[in-house]
Amino acid sequence: MRHWKRMLVMLLALSVYLCAGSAALAAYPEKQITVLQGFKPGGGSDTLAQLTQPYLEKIVGQSFINQYIPGATGAIAWTQLAKTAKKDGYTLSITNTPMLQTNYIMNPQITYTIEELEPIANVVTDPGIIVVAKDSPFKTVEDFLKAVKENPGKVTVGNSGVGGDDFFTTLIFEKISGLKVQMIPFEGDGPSWQAAMGGKIDASFNNLGITYPQVKAGNLRALALFANERYKLIPDVPTMKELGYELVSGSSRGYSAPKGIPEEAKTALIEAFKKLASMPEVIQGAEERASILDMKYGDDYKKMLADQEQEFRGIWDEVKDEYQKK
Amino acid sequence: MIFDNILLGLTNVFAPLNLAAVAFGTGLGLLVGAMPGLSATMAIALLVPVTFVMRPETGISMLAAIYMGAMYGGSIAAILIRTPGTPAAAATVLDGYPMAQRGEAGRALGISLTASFVGGVMSSVVLLTVAPMLGWVALMFGPVELFAVAVLGMTIIGSLSQGSAIKGLLAGAVGLLLSTVGMDPITGIPRFTLGNINLFSGIPFTVALIGLFSIPQALRLIERDEVEAERINSFSDRILRPWSEIRELLPTMVRAGLIGIFVGIIPGTGGDTACWFAYNEAKRASDDKASFGQGNPHGIAAPEASNNAVVGGALVPTISLGIPGSSATAILLGGLMIHGIMPGPTLMTEYAGVTYTLLWAVLLSTIFMFVEGVIFTKACIFVTAIRNKTLSVAIVVLCVVGAFAINNSFFEVGLMFAFGILGYFMDKLSIPVAPLVVGLILGGMLDVSLHQSLLMSQGSWMIFLKNPISAALLALALFSLIQSTPMYERWKRERKARKEAR
Repeated sequence: MRHWKRMLVMLLALSVYLCAGSAALAAYPEKQITVLQGFKPGGGSDTLAQLTQPYLEKIVGQSFINQYIPGATGAIAWTQLAKTAKKDGYTLSITNTPMLQTNYIMNPQITYTIEELEPIANVVTDPGIIVVAKDSPFKTVEDFLKAVKENPGKVTVGNSGVGGDDFFTTLIFEKISGLKVQMIPFEGDGPSWQAAMGGKIDASFNNLGITYPQVKAGNLRALALFANERYKLIPDVPTMKELGYELVSGSSRGYSAPKGIPEEAKTALIEAFKKLASMPEVIQGAEERASILDMKYGDDYKKMLADQEQEFRGIWDEVKDEYQKK
Repeated sequence: MIFDNILLGLTNVFAPLNLAAVAFGTGLGLLVGAMPGLSATMAIALLVPVTFVMRPETGISMLAAIYMGAMYGGSIAAILIRTPGTPAAAATVLDGYPMAQRGEAGRALGISLTASFVGGVMSSVVLLTVAPMLGWVALMFGPVELFAVAVLGMTIIGSLSQGSAIKGLLAGAVGLLLSTVGMDPITGIPRFTLGNINLFSGIPFTVALIGLFSIPQALRLIERDEVEAERINSFSDRILRPWSEIRELLPTMVRAGLIGIFVGIIPGTGGDTACWFAYNEAKRASDDKASFGQGNPHGIAAPEASNNAVVGGALVPTISLGIPGSSATAILLGGLMIHGIMPGPTLMTEYAGVTYTLLWAVLLSTIFMFVEGVIFTKACIFVTAIRNKTLSVAIVVLCVVGAFAINNSFFEVGLMFAFGILGYFMDKLSIPVAPLVVGLILGGMLDVSLHQSLLMSQGSWMIFLKNPISAALLALALFSLIQSTPMYERWKRERKARKEAR
């Protein structure tokens, strides 16, 4: 049923495309497209750019230029995208959740919102994972949960930093389970799993794609995934859902434009991402990086962002005072 | 098995294309290193997509060679125009520039090049032989240990401010204070940002460094009257140093090299920290402390040997565990991912061909660095022949370009000038800049690791004494602190006097 609806939407889009006068449409894109990157070159956003953009260039026939404007966990680039970028479809940005929303939820001085953006497509989602050192006493997630229950607020759990996905995963975990851990924020995913691997902290809430090489090598033990289903490369690791915790979370990366770009530009971009997702090179490239393709286009992506915003806002309003008092 | 891999890597690295890539990378590294504001990290990041078309070992070897070359390149600007070309060359300014001012620019650059070579070779030998055994050291350093490292580092301020302890401590405190600007990494609350989101991630260290050193220098050059004789129009001294001089400096270089390797291995610390530790140790070991800051050759050899040793050190956990030892190696790991090589423990086994080629390339790049360095340095001679008033304008232009290039932000150009003005007045009031730099580097680490440690211990400060590594480092810091007080000097003098009386 859903499938048919989507087909219908696509057909409609196609007919609009044809009716609106092919001269203007065939034109987009007629020059290079700038991609604002809110993080340093070499980071996760850049990795996504290098996975997708060489192929996008082939599809649309124009080059993509990366412009790195790191700072304030992406907020400088996203503010620029929302407030000052030309709304002509030639400026995009890689939008990462949850930072895209938590930035302004947590800091009133950051003023852009997702309302000012035109989400184009989500590309990858890296689900959350609980990892411990290989010699940790926690052999299974049950061991971990038991320890947390017996020592409320004592078990140390690392995350990638305040406002990041692992931080919010931990908060949601505490809310759903009614348990309490000692959260230790680190500056990035790396230091968090490294501290767990070195036995400095009891566990790290991290991401599958990031920790997979260490899990595969046996240096880290994965206890549970915060995903809808198990991951084929580590089939023995259960999901939190199976254990009765309705907790699905992770970090997603996609592309957004400023709100108000021409309809034809939006359609052309969405089409390009649809083509991208079906290219075998891209699928293989994602697999090599242990990235999970999670394509969501246009309004679906917009809804995903809005749902998340609501969830994060709710959680943050609840714990804000208690957390920042510490 | 390991031996086979070492041999395989050796034969791979001598493939003409790999040789060319290493030679090119080293040269590019020298160039970006010598330009203030352009760092190795930036050059590596920008060239990662270029390696897409190369074989993985060729591409990665080229990137590592850039890293190596830039570490020496940074000292050229430090010595000739008193502007560190890279943050890792900041300590080189202290003795390198005074020596060049004495008319011994060639000697200063020669010592720097030799020390860089020694440090680079030491670290690549470590990398080739014991890297798999040393990787675990990186895991031993969690928040508690990093806090102790930062405290030990803070004691450097004491030794950098001899002359006027009060002024040194003041500068160090200002550095620490400035390092707290930005979002608190633990609570997420913005501090001292004046509501400006450009300050949310704190003050970019390189921007501050460019401003503090370069702008005052440009102003000084303008203020100074043009005296023809004062300028050095040629290197009267040779870049290749006599063996007798090198032999005398060798213990300093080896000590600094070991410090560099160790600091490199610890994740989150790199050349910008190592150079200060090495400088401090060289000064502590010296009998002639007063000559440091006046152009002491040991003050050039130590930071330069250590920052090149960081390259190999930072690669140790990178290749043995997939843990980047510094920001540049983090980007190298990203580069491997582009080639479908998952960074992690499999680098030493599954991808041994690529990895061991890289390790040999690091060693090879030190040799290229030495040869290309001699030529490149000779080409830089023209800087000394430029009129002061022209040079100062060129320095300001370089600063503006450099500050902008770091984050593509005009805000940071303004910030750089603000630091320039601060540096200028500190200079006028003869407040040393070095302690401020150390405070700025270590402040963030001190702040975060302290907060994390206390969260881990539920608020108990005993965690720092219960942990053997941190307890030992803190004891060392206490000793170092006592050593830099006048009491210690008096005690030493009295002991000497007693000995002589006996």
